[in-house]
Amino acid sequence: MIAFVIRRLVMGVFTIWLISVVSFVIIQLPPGDFVDSYIAQLAASGSVISANEAASMRELYGLGQPMYVQYGKWLSRVVTGDFGESMMWRRPVTEVIGDRLWLTLVLSFAALLLTWALALPIGIYSAVRQYSWGDYAFTLLGFIGIAVPNFLLALIIMYFSFRLFGANVGGLFSPAMQMQPWGLAKTWDLMKHLPLPATILALAGTAQLIRIMRANLLDELRKPYVVTARARGLPERRVILKYPVRAALNPFASNIAYLFPYLVSGSIIISIVLGLPTVGPLLVQALVAQDMFLAGTIVLLLGVMTVIGTFISDLVLMWVDPRIRHQMD
Amino acid sequence: MAKANDAERYAVATQMQLTWWRFRRHKLAMVSLFIVALFYLLAVGADFLAVSDPHEGDARTSYIAPQPIHLFDDGSFRPYIYGLKGVRDVKTFKLIYTVDTSRKVYLEFFGHGYRYSFFGIDTDRHLMTLRDPRVTDGIHLLGTDLLGRDLWSRLMVASRVSLTIGLVGVSISLVLGVLLGGISAIRGGWVDNVIQRGIEVVRSLPTIPLWLGLAAALPNDWSVTQIYFAITIIISLLAWTDLARVVRGKFLSLREEEFVMAAELAGASQTRIIFHHMLPSFASHIIAAVSLALPAMIISETSLSFLGLGLRPPAISWGILLQDAQNIQTLALAPWLLLSAVPVILVILAFNFLGDGLRDAADPYG
Amino acid sequence: MATRRRFLGSASVFAAALAVSPEALAQAVNSKSQFGASGLVGKLDGASQSTAVPAKFQEAPQLAALVKAGKLPPVEQRIPSEPMVLQPLDSVGKYGGTWHRAFIGPSDGENGNRIMASDKLLFWDFTGSKVVPCVCKGFDLSKDGKTTTLFLRKGMKWGDGAPFTADDFVFWYEDMYLNKDLVPSPISDMSAGGKQGRLVKIDETTVQFQFDNPYYLFPDMLAGDTLIGGGQSVRQSAGNNYGAYAPGHYLKQFMPKYSSETAVNKLAKEAGYETWARLLTVKKDWELNPELPTLGPWRTVKPINTPTWVMDRNPYYYAVDTAGNQLPYIDNIIMNLAEDIEVVNLRAMSGQYDLQARHIDLSKLPVILENQQRGNYKVHLDLAYNGADTTLHINMGYTKDPVVGKLLATADFRRALALGIDRDQMNETFWLGLGTPGSTAPAEAMPESPGPEWRKKWSVLDIKQANAMLDKLGLTKKDSAGYRVRPDGGGRLVIQLLAVKAFMDWPKHSEMISQHWRKIGIFGEVKESERGLAFQRMASGDHHILVWTNGGTELLYLYPSWALPTDVTPGAYGLETARWYASNGAQGTKPEDPHMLKALEMFRAGAGMEEEARNKNAQEIWKIMVDQQFHIGTVGQSPALMGVRIASNKMGNIPDRACIAQHCRTPGSSHPETWFFKS
Repeated sequence: MIAFVIRRLVMGVFTIWLISVVSFVIIQLPPGDFVDSYIAQLAASGSVISANEAASMRELYGLGQPMYVQYGKWLSRVVTGDFGESMMWRRPVTEVIGDRLWLTLVLSFAALLLTWALALPIGIYSAVRQYSWGDYAFTLLGFIGIAVPNFLLALIIMYFSFRLFGANVGGLFSPAMQMQPWGLAKTWDLMKHLPLPATILALAGTAQLIRIMRANLLDELRKPYVVTARARGLPERRVILKYPVRAALNPFASNIAYLFPYLVSGSIIISIVLGLPTVGPLLVQALVAQDMFLAGTIVLLLGVMTVIGTFISDLVLMWVDPRIRHQMD
Repeated sequence: MAKANDAERYAVATQMQLTWWRFRRHKLAMVSLFIVALFYLLAVGADFLAVSDPHEGDARTSYIAPQPIHLFDDGSFRPYIYGLKGVRDVKTFKLIYTVDTSRKVYLEFFGHGYRYSFFGIDTDRHLMTLRDPRVTDGIHLLGTDLLGRDLWSRLMVASRVSLTIGLVGVSISLVLGVLLGGISAIRGGWVDNVIQRGIEVVRSLPTIPLWLGLAAALPNDWSVTQIYFAITIIISLLAWTDLARVVRGKFLSLREEEFVMAAELAGASQTRIIFHHMLPSFASHIIAAVSLALPAMIISETSLSFLGLGLRPPAISWGILLQDAQNIQTLALAPWLLLSAVPVILVILAFNFLGDGLRDAADPYG
Repeated sequence: MATRRRFLGSASVFAAALAVSPEALAQAVNSKSQFGASGLVGKLDGASQSTAVPAKFQEAPQLAALVKAGKLPPVEQRIPSEPMVLQPLDSVGKYGGTWHRAFIGPSDGENGNRIMASDKLLFWDFTGSKVVPCVCKGFDLSKDGKTTTLFLRKGMKWGDGAPFTADDFVFWYEDMYLNKDLVPSPISDMSAGGKQGRLVKIDETTVQFQFDNPYYLFPDMLAGDTLIGGGQSVRQSAGNNYGAYAPGHYLKQFMPKYSSETAVNKLAKEAGYETWARLLTVKKDWELNPELPTLGPWRTVKPINTPTWVMDRNPYYYAVDTAGNQLPYIDNIIMNLAEDIEVVNLRAMSGQYDLQARHIDLSKLPVILENQQRGNYKVHLDLAYNGADTTLHINMGYTKDPVVGKLLATADFRRALALGIDRDQMNETFWLGLGTPGSTAPAEAMPESPGPEWRKKWSVLDIKQANAMLDKLGLTKKDSAGYRVRPDGGGRLVIQLLAVKAFMDWPKHSEMISQHWRKIGIFGEVKESERGLAFQRMASGDHHILVWTNGGTELLYLYPSWALPTDVTPGAYGLETARWYASNGAQGTKPEDPHMLKALEMFRAGAGMEEEARNKNAQEIWKIMVDQQFHIGTVGQSPALMGVRIASNKMGNIPDRACIAQHCRTPGSSHPETWFFKS
């Protein structure tokens, strides 16, 4: 049991290291560097910098050094909690990410909760009442969630909530609240703005989970022990909820971890469309401007979050399914 | 008698036949199969079905709402459209179109339009064209876009691109998935461990930044076709993990099955067991997994295009049409451009139902 | 005739204004545009300067409270004895209110810089045609053009209360400009006839720029958006070290000369930066450092690298209105971060922004107008003066593919490309008919305009002539799709259009252009690229044609980057030529094209000419550039770039029409400090 947890932990750390290498390499893949983007920005605003200055800037940022040196520099600082300076934002990366990381978490987590809250009962219902009208209706609704590109959905919903209800456009806070320090009022303000993006985000994942839950439960329901339980006159509710649902939850739980990066990925696109203060727009900008410390940190943090998510789901799995617990001992 | 016959048929039927018989009972899946087939047919005949050059537009036909085709003229079947005249309102800056009912432009079937190549045959025949049209006349079943290009024609051509990008991409993922999943299951041990770790790493990375990084790395002087294939490969490089998991899982569970054990006891070789006994028994599972992976590919293409990193104009794909529609002025002034989402939704739904039906059908205990 | 240009705080003594009147500009607009009826294009208007200094001064209530509490000296001691007196457009305003705006990220510093533009030494009036006093109350250009003397305002103070004197100029010149660590290579703005000039302090309130050769252009350079004249906000932010003055009393603590190398490096390390130069970059940047003393009407409270960029009034701001109220009227500015243009526009339509033109999208105008009531705002359209918002900048020094390179360097090929574009189609589709089709030459009302015929030269659709010209160049063979093939038998001739989606949807414009070029058998391949990558390709001479604006070229001498290869960045017309010009022949390659050579020589000579001759010279340069089609113009003189202005009905003193131009620092020349909230 403890050995299992430790093995999982070691694996997690290894995965995180791999993620750090992969993300760093990917950030380095595009040609050009930050100074080029910087020159472009200045040109667009009507300023110019000389070639000499560009060269001295490159030197200043260490952009001329080999990649492994830059990576080594970065990693040794990351270990001490110093993620470097964002060249684009001219601030320490941790400060730039600031609230955004946990706002991303809040949004993705809200979407995750919503996904479960919808997928679990609907999945059970669809399996128990297979091929009923309700089954078809829910499946169809779920699939529409998958099929409509969420960026389009986000823009449509944003535009019509503005046209029809005069709603605030995008964002996670009302303009008046944005400047306020954190408190009850601001949290409440956040809660009011959360449902819209969380729903858009949750739609796609829900259909997936419904399908998984439905299929797994159907498999379980066909097994002899269910037939036996029915034959022995157990109430239908208990027949279904006591064992088959718990057994079907197994693959369901193992999908939680993979749903999370999926939601985070989705939140990037949604945040761009809706103008949400999450890491999404930050990441895309950083990648485009090749602000590598910022982009690297965000990808790394997102990866770490996912690994932690996987780890937690393993623990949940152990709790849900005794068979695994025994296998591990 | 009939019953006995049936039983006999079942007894000797192959796994694939069994799956197909079960699949036929699944109505939604059958409808979906029909829809998917229809779309691929449309894709093949895209240029023929297009009513005007999908690249050609005119400022005087910008943002025309969908226009009906009038079928009967003077009681006889003689389809025509009315001429349109657009004037920009000096107060609202909108282009206002008025229907000129005095001018009928008649339709022609199998007439001449823009030139295209149909499987190597150079032709200019189209299903519908106009007889003696003016520059600003056009059949606009689904309206026009900002540049005055016909949406119906663009959709036809876009379907071809997007539906094939899915196919090509899925084939690549399939090869990767079966290979890696199979190796993982058969070899086991550290090989299995390494591949499983690899899958975990790929899956725990948010895909969007990966695509962004890879797509941004494409050389700028590549042609549209080269970029098309590169994007396909990028998408499939990240999409094989699901297939690999399915394949591995099936391999592992089949190893425990009686018929495999029987084959082993009978002294069949490992290769024979894999290719003769195991693979056929879960081929339908793979088909199901593939049809479920296709919509993900299509969605990926649209997402990449939305971020400006997918295919670029003058290429026409669903993603590009959706990106064109992704702005406020479209919602307010030309909502019909959102119609380009309809085939995306239809095809994705159809593939999903198809995959579900196949999976249900492939289950031997169904 | 040598005119001595001089003014001393009086608007009436301007010896020479540019030969353009606001009436002429207004007329130019109304005659060409059928959209006078929309009422959106108004009369050019704005706050103006007055010479009568009010007898008594008042201040904003919260400043008065601070004075009462003893935390701030009284208003009379905070403003100069000779303040800038602004006559607000409609009426004397009221104090108070917050101006909500949008910005799109840490690179959007210009959003704020332009509002602070009254920290420039000299400026332009609201018509954009007349140089007026600003930080300096006046200037004197010597008869021989070799010295320009600047007169400062007595008693003027920095935002922290320290006196603003000639020493701040000396500090900038000696400790920043001549410091090789900060400015590695001298700038051409500070040189005349190829020789660097000097900055000399005459007395506490007088400084002099001295040159060895005539530099009649210099006062205009000081008023323009140039490296020397841009002002502190833009020229010392984002890593720059230009401008002409700096707050020495504050910055000295971060410089080794006034402390020690170890001490300043320690300071930098403590603040989390690697070197003192990095720390200084942040400390002298008003967008980032709330402590930095500045001269503009507002100052940063929350820096630009946060989700809200907040500015507060500067209690030492040097301007008052005609009633003696210290400006600005508006208490603070809050800029909300919105990375996406659609979000910015939708929020603007919902009335979340009080005044916004930057990032407002012309193609959304019908929707913006529809929501005027709902958002409680009014839309103004400000038309620009530059020739073409969408310009095809041709790389005449392209060498990667000799066949394409040779064609791009051939005038008739460029002319044929220009003749193959249907500009009316573009105007109708992308400018809603609001622009003026034509060449890259500036609006006819501008003093450097070569005349109306040059707006049309090679710049009207003529497919027949274009085809004839291309045939004559030997490009007669075509492939099966009807496109001309390369003369070397290497397949289809492909001309790449490098386009960036910024300000306007240039990739889409390029798509239309390549569609038009089908008719002349030219295959134009659109290469959409991210801005940074596009400019990088350009910097390595890798592009055929860049699609970008030519904004700023309406005053050629002040902003030649998008007309002639005078600067290595951006290098749109051949990097080697630019290098040759910028280094005065020391590096790069001398252009072979005699027309290019002539244009560059004339341009270099321009700075030493007096105004009239200079303008004439510019007209001649324009004639060469248009005739040779160094750049192909499409549609311009439109509101597309920062000219669709959404102004809340709550705001007062908002001009009907403002000058939008690089040198006007839009909205700077409209003096935002005179705007106010009516309720």
